[in-house]
Amino acid sequence: MRATKMTKSILIAPLFLAPLFLAAVAHAAVPGITGPTFNLTAQTAFLNQPDGSSVYAWGYGCNGNPTGTAPAALTVTCPSMQVPGPTMIVTEGQTVTVNLLNGLPAAAGNTSILFPGFVVTASGGVQGLLTQEAAPAGTVTYTFVANSPGTHAYYSGTQGDLQVDMGLYGAVVVLPATIPAACSAGLPTTAPGNNAAAKTAWGESDFRLAAAAFDNPKSCYDREYLFQWSEMDANIHKTALAQVTALNGCTAGAPGCSLNVPTEPYHPAYFLINGRSMPDLMDANFAAEYPHQPYNGNPHMHPGEMTLVRTIGQGRWQHPFHEHANHVRILARDGNMQLAPDGTDLAGLLMFNTDTTPGESFDGIFYFTGRGLNWDPYGHHPGDTSDPLGSLSCTADANGYNTGAPTAVNYYEWCQDHNKPLEVAPNGDVAAGGPATLPNPNIFTNGAWYGGTPYLGPDATLRGGGTQACASTTGSTAANQASTCSDLQPSNIQANPASERGWAYMWHSHNEREITTNNVFPGGMLMMMLVDTREFVIDESQ
Amino acid sequence: MTRRNMSTAWLVVVLVCLAALSANAQSFRVQCPTSTITHPSLNNNAEPAYTGPTTLALNANQFYAPTANVNGAIKCQQVSGGDGYSTMANGVQTFMFSFGPLSGLADIANGQPGTEFPSVFNTVAPQILLPGDPATTDGIAANTWPTSWGGFPLSTAGFTWNGAVGLEPDIANLVSIYDISQGTSGNAVYVQLNAPLGLTTGASVIISGTGGAPPAGYDGTWTVTAANFVFPTAGIPGVTNYAFTPNFNFTFTIPTATGLPDILESQTATAATPPVLDGHVDPRQIMDIGVMNGNIPAPLVAFDEDDEMFLTLTNVGMIMRPDLFEQHTIHFHGYPNASSVYDGVPDASVAINIGGSFTYYYLAPDAGTYFWHCHITPPEHLQMGMVGQLYVRPRQNRVPITKTLYQGLVEQQLDLRTACNPSADILCSATLPAGGDNGQKGGFVCTNALCTGSGTVTKMFTYNDGDGSTAYDVEYPLQIHGFDPNFHFVGMTFNPEMFVDMKDKFFLLNGRSYPDTVTPGPMATQSSDGRVHYGQPMPAIINIPAGGRALLRIADLDVSEYQTLASLGVPMKEVGFNAKLLRDQEGNNQAFYTNSITLGGGESLDVLLDASDAGCGSTGCAATLYPAGSTFYLYTPNLDHLSNDQENFGGLMTEVHICASVTGGNTYGNTCN
Repeated sequence: MRATKMTKSILIAPLFLAPLFLAAVAHAAVPGITGPTFNLTAQTAFLNQPDGSSVYAWGYGCNGNPTGTAPAALTVTCPSMQVPGPTMIVTEGQTVTVNLLNGLPAAAGNTSILFPGFVVTASGGVQGLLTQEAAPAGTVTYTFVANSPGTHAYYSGTQGDLQVDMGLYGAVVVLPATIPAACSAGLPTTAPGNNAAAKTAWGESDFRLAAAAFDNPKSCYDREYLFQWSEMDANIHKTALAQVTALNGCTAGAPGCSLNVPTEPYHPAYFLINGRSMPDLMDANFAAEYPHQPYNGNPHMHPGEMTLVRTIGQGRWQHPFHEHANHVRILARDGNMQLAPDGTDLAGLLMFNTDTTPGESFDGIFYFTGRGLNWDPYGHHPGDTSDPLGSLSCTADANGYNTGAPTAVNYYEWCQDHNKPLEVAPNGDVAAGGPATLPNPNIFTNGAWYGGTPYLGPDATLRGGGTQACASTTGSTAANQASTCSDLQPSNIQANPASERGWAYMWHSHNEREITTNNVFPGGMLMMMLVDTREFVIDESQ
Repeated sequence: MTRRNMSTAWLVVVLVCLAALSANAQSFRVQCPTSTITHPSLNNNAEPAYTGPTTLALNANQFYAPTANVNGAIKCQQVSGGDGYSTMANGVQTFMFSFGPLSGLADIANGQPGTEFPSVFNTVAPQILLPGDPATTDGIAANTWPTSWGGFPLSTAGFTWNGAVGLEPDIANLVSIYDISQGTSGNAVYVQLNAPLGLTTGASVIISGTGGAPPAGYDGTWTVTAANFVFPTAGIPGVTNYAFTPNFNFTFTIPTATGLPDILESQTATAATPPVLDGHVDPRQIMDIGVMNGNIPAPLVAFDEDDEMFLTLTNVGMIMRPDLFEQHTIHFHGYPNASSVYDGVPDASVAINIGGSFTYYYLAPDAGTYFWHCHITPPEHLQMGMVGQLYVRPRQNRVPITKTLYQGLVEQQLDLRTACNPSADILCSATLPAGGDNGQKGGFVCTNALCTGSGTVTKMFTYNDGDGSTAYDVEYPLQIHGFDPNFHFVGMTFNPEMFVDMKDKFFLLNGRSYPDTVTPGPMATQSSDGRVHYGQPMPAIINIPAGGRALLRIADLDVSEYQTLASLGVPMKEVGFNAKLLRDQEGNNQAFYTNSITLGGGESLDVLLDASDAGCGSTGCAATLYPAGSTFYLYTPNLDHLSNDQENFGGLMTEVHICASVTGGNTYGNTCN
């Protein structure tokens, strides 16, 4: 993989080893398949869980190669059944056709797909309770006009208590027909925001599906992630497997050729985002270890980047999704924008806990800038002329951010706190005079994602006295460099390597019981979000 | 209420643990500076009026520092991380992992915030505190403890100290004296030390161990007249030059004495810099007060916008679980644009080991109802009780009575940090109200002409609304939580904990279930150290003056399920959600009336229990529907949560009292007349 690209300013020899340590580090956009015709097969497979178990499941896979995939910068495949099912990416106004082949065991009976929020025409198959269904080995076709941009769910409409828990669910992303002009030239809402130029300047690919989530200039975004939340009661899956095995070879529809799997009492022990749990969740998209759970949850972003959080509740429980580090502005629920009476201003809630509700989706915007911390996250040291990265300038735009130079490491710094010290005593090459004292590191336990200092980014961490790979052009003196030369973080774990040293935040279910996997913490609905300086190139190609 | 003595076996565990924590293995410390870059005045012990945005200018160090109109103050608080006991409403004593107060002890015992100005925080305890204080001392003072076991003191009138536990003056430096002599002419005393002391001219120095005050010796506190000098080559009459380097030497003057005898190579004579309060603490006091002193809810934290907050966590260890070397942290839940180092997530930052202190530093975020909790193994530490409330009061409370709220909010737009410009920032909500200036005036009454010192807040608001729509008369933080007694028992007894089977059986408002929620004053539990501790200091009695509005700052920290709280009678007006004003980006208020709210773990909101005439039509209703003397209820329609484990009674419920007047403060501890 190629997760990191070093910038010239910190070309550091030992860091070329970094990719070896970074095998598990990969980021993810919203990979999916494009249509407007989609051929899916409902199939069985086994899902891998972090406790080592392999759980029998049902899911959707592609029936033949998909028409196309997106985003363009990603390699997307869907060779077999997966949980969640392939994300179907369409454009507003398209007529979407979904052909479903029922490849489930005969004993599982019929299956179908619901597309809540759309007016669906079903053809073929057999009549079911909620829609037309595909009998075992049979097919059914659904057609609808994708008239509502945003994130939507799709899931089985046949015996949902069983089939959805077994894994028959996925997402439909509808892109707006018209991208507001304002969105294609940076971000007008953070004028003169120029995140796209910064992305280009640092050689970063664009992994977005579009530049806006809706036909509304307040829905522009720079980066996007899709999180599908669900729980899984393994007892249901074990019982289903036992019955399917016992009924192997039975004739569909024949007496006795059906399942009788109790789905109550419901007792989930696996709490999933995108079909995985921590720590598997943060492994790469399409990682070989999880052939049927291709989508990950490993969000990264740069300061000031508008990040679109697409979320769907796919289980039967609600989960309070807590985003550390800032609020989320809800743009829409189930694809319906929430606007003020003037029809353009946003009116969705601001939430630090975005509830995920069964069957419901939301689109929200999150971003991080560090505004109001009252100290300089970059640990700038204006007097040190030997360290050009330490003495960068910060020129406030109309909103107080350093957005004039997209090539700057401190692009989007909050200028009111520029150069303002945090610590009372000098630390490394960062000036003294601040309000706080960070005591002896020996009384701490350092986290795997802790960069070793309070500061943000590789060079700031070095300036702040952290241990890091040796720099040839950063740091104040040779002696300082010698004393701080190390490949290792305090934790000796390279979750946040020397080339990155981002600020990490936990995004997780705040029904904290759900950040466990089968009674073991950590696990479940938990991932780390990283805010990275521009030096670190966020590569979401996996 | 049932109370049980813990078995002596646990006492043995206690003693073993105390012995294991020797003083030299600790790094306890507090931080509470009296002035900072942001608050340069020497007096930051009061909230000044908000007369406009702070004036900032680039200083010599190339960063922006205030030059005028400094807003806010400095606030400090210290909490312990450890364990403790609470008593559930069915009488069952329950073990907790928990935070306890290590500052603001009297305020916490009164159900109020333990957040203090430096002038209060930086005061040394007037006496040696005893384990269990303030319960212990308060009881002695009231002469009801320990002889009257049922007579828990309901007020803490006997205990008013709110400083930082353990705080003691630190002797920054102390050096033995090689030679001290006044020579044979004049009053000057020449001192030659065995090591540099770092003195400068004009500094104070304390001489001791020289046989007493003059004329017996040189003992006393003196002012240095010269330091860091080379002895004259010609010599000083009667003084021997031992040729130390300059920074070993200094002189001072004793005006009342001459010719004091030379003392050479004394084994007792020392020179020291004066003791100062610099955050040094006596670990014994920390352990005496902090051990087994956990609270549910964790100590209440409250401060004001523009404040700098220094929140010190001191990990005293868990007596009942000596097998666990459990770290703790503080996660300030909902802090916008949080730094990861002060975010309290151990994976992304540092975790504080037993015997250590760590001070979290925050500039106050936007006003709102937040909360805090430990972020170590959250499903365990939160279930076990490490959850607390936290709120930030709005700048608008400090808008002077001479200005309209709208004018105050317009001024906030002039500082980019405090502005909310919806066209530039979609993550803020306190935009200017669409309705414009409705003439509502501020309520901050200054006590001096310049309006910069302390004043009186006569109108209180939940948010910077600019229109008074979030005004309230009284405010009450309400924490929703749940305890699973099986998990707590397992948590006390060294067994592996099961998360999948977690099922709460006690449903708590401020750490208590009904009817304990309406028991005034702190609730005490005798713990396994044999002492009584105020484990549940906060009642949940809602007193509202007739026709008034009560702000309920509701936070749900439950770790296993959603909970609903409903109001029987007085309508709820939801004005804020997740620490944000309910207002759209066009400036329209989105507040709404409801009779119930539902929260998942990790969520907060603000409701005004509206006993006013608002929405009652032309006839009015306060006098008829909510008359003084009436009682209403807050309860959960999750009907299975109206129980205290095996008792089919109680649970998540409390009382709302409509009062002719409310005196004695606008929050818990007040009186309904």
